[in-house]
Amino acid sequence: MTAALQVEHVSVSYNGRRVLEDITFSVQAGERVAVVGPNGAGKSTLFRAILGLVPLEAGRVQVLDAGAPAPVGYLSQRLLVDWRFPVTAFDVVMMGRVGKLGWLKWYSRRDKEAVWRALEMVGMREYADSPISELSGGQQQRVFIARALAQEAKLLLLDEPFTGLDLPSQEAILRLMEELRAQQITILFSTHDLALALEHFDQLALLNRRLIAYGPPRTVITSENLSRAYGGKALWRGDNYVMVLGDIECCGEGEHHGPH
Amino acid sequence: MDLIELFLAPLRYPFMWRGLIASLMVGTLCAVVGTYVVLRGMAFLGDALAHAILPGVAVAYLLGQPLFWGALLMGLLTAVGIGFVSRRAEIKEDTAIGILFAASFALGIALLSTVQSYSVDLTHILFGNILGVSDQDLVLTGALGLFVLLVVVLLYKELLVVTFDPLFATTVGLPTTALHYTLLVLIALTIVVSIQTVGVALMVAMLVTPATTAYLLTRKMWQMMLVGAGCGVFSAVAGLYISFYTNVASGSAVVLVSTALFLLAMLFAPRRGMVWGWAGRRRAG
Repeated sequence: MTAALQVEHVSVSYNGRRVLEDITFSVQAGERVAVVGPNGAGKSTLFRAILGLVPLEAGRVQVLDAGAPAPVGYLSQRLLVDWRFPVTAFDVVMMGRVGKLGWLKWYSRRDKEAVWRALEMVGMREYADSPISELSGGQQQRVFIARALAQEAKLLLLDEPFTGLDLPSQEAILRLMEELRAQQITILFSTHDLALALEHFDQLALLNRRLIAYGPPRTVITSENLSRAYGGKALWRGDNYVMVLGDIECCGEGEHHGPH
Repeated sequence: MDLIELFLAPLRYPFMWRGLIASLMVGTLCAVVGTYVVLRGMAFLGDALAHAILPGVAVAYLLGQPLFWGALLMGLLTAVGIGFVSRRAEIKEDTAIGILFAASFALGIALLSTVQSYSVDLTHILFGNILGVSDQDLVLTGALGLFVLLVVVLLYKELLVVTFDPLFATTVGLPTTALHYTLLVLIALTIVVSIQTVGVALMVAMLVTPATTAYLLTRKMWQMMLVGAGCGVFSAVAGLYISFYTNVASGSAVVLVSTALFLLAMLFAPRRGMVWGWAGRRRAG
């Protein structure tokens, strides 16, 4: 086993306010890590720090593939893209090749093959010529995962990819993640859904500005850790379900979990 | 007089040939660059850029120099200025642009109003005078237009990525700020090239309308550019002839034709057209 991601003593501030404080953890190649925590815990900031989109105040991040620096695939939260933009699924996946190609070069046959492979892998081959506006939410997410695969990224950062997706689409993406494990692709997945994290992930990072706990989900989700992360509003009951009561300033699905 | 005669007869005049060539160029260029304007929601910025060029045109006019050079200088200055302003956080971007462009436009009007024949010339600058294109205009605008098209072709994949998903563009290491400025400069150059044909006041329509018509009819960005260019060229040439036969200001003729095309596309575009929506509802209901 080799490390795919090493985050060492990372701190990030926005406008003088600490958003991440001394975060340290390391992820093995092929592992799937759920990043959970209340709203404003710094989940998106952590991803942006790993991508190098925000300056680190302290610490360092290494993304490695067999010891060498590797590209990172990133799915931002869904609302950041104009879904009526005139591009097809194929075009979007092809964007994954831009970073590799360099200026003034046009896509070669190898690039096109990589795009077809990526579409195949996410099960979207027959939708290659569809405009993204005509795809469902789950299909759109799979196209964006394919773009990351076309980048030959070994680490995928998925920022709340289930927001607004129906259950069958969520299950399709979970199955896809299972298949990606065979290719030693490492996944960080931020979510509000503790039950989901408990069930489908190898490691769980419980975040609230600091890294409260990191490790196998069942060791991380304890009453003590949850109340440290959620400020005494979380309850841990029984063997197989989690309750988070009154998640701070939030809304929508993913906050209140009954028996699962 | 039949239709072909109606089309060919004016070509006896050299100025019509010059107008025709200018129309082809302007129609193509505006739609291609306008594709970015539409997709990035920069219509207001395009309008502002066109108006802000006026002082440059006015000074060149007062000095008896080709308007082209004044417009070019002012256009580039404004593009960089707007790019700079949009990166400051103190004032909202559209507010800042609103202040700057109105001020610049006012200055241009003030300068032009010092001249005797002010009203005729101002009309030409504001609303276009495609029949008055000179050989020199044609060479300069042709060279500049080809340059813009060349840049669009060479940077196609980068500009596509940065327009569609700027955050992703940053993560793969594209210089998004430099590409943003490049785009502003391309818009400014397009405006400079097209000023003679459509004029300052209606410029934004040529940037936005043909590209939007094409947006309704296509599903890829390059298709949007090509179809948009077709709409733009058709509008510009039709505007030229309307201008020749009726003496209507060329800019307004061109814009009205392109608006008519847009309305047709909005009503009848395959699948997206409103008419099909109504028909479908009736069948379903």
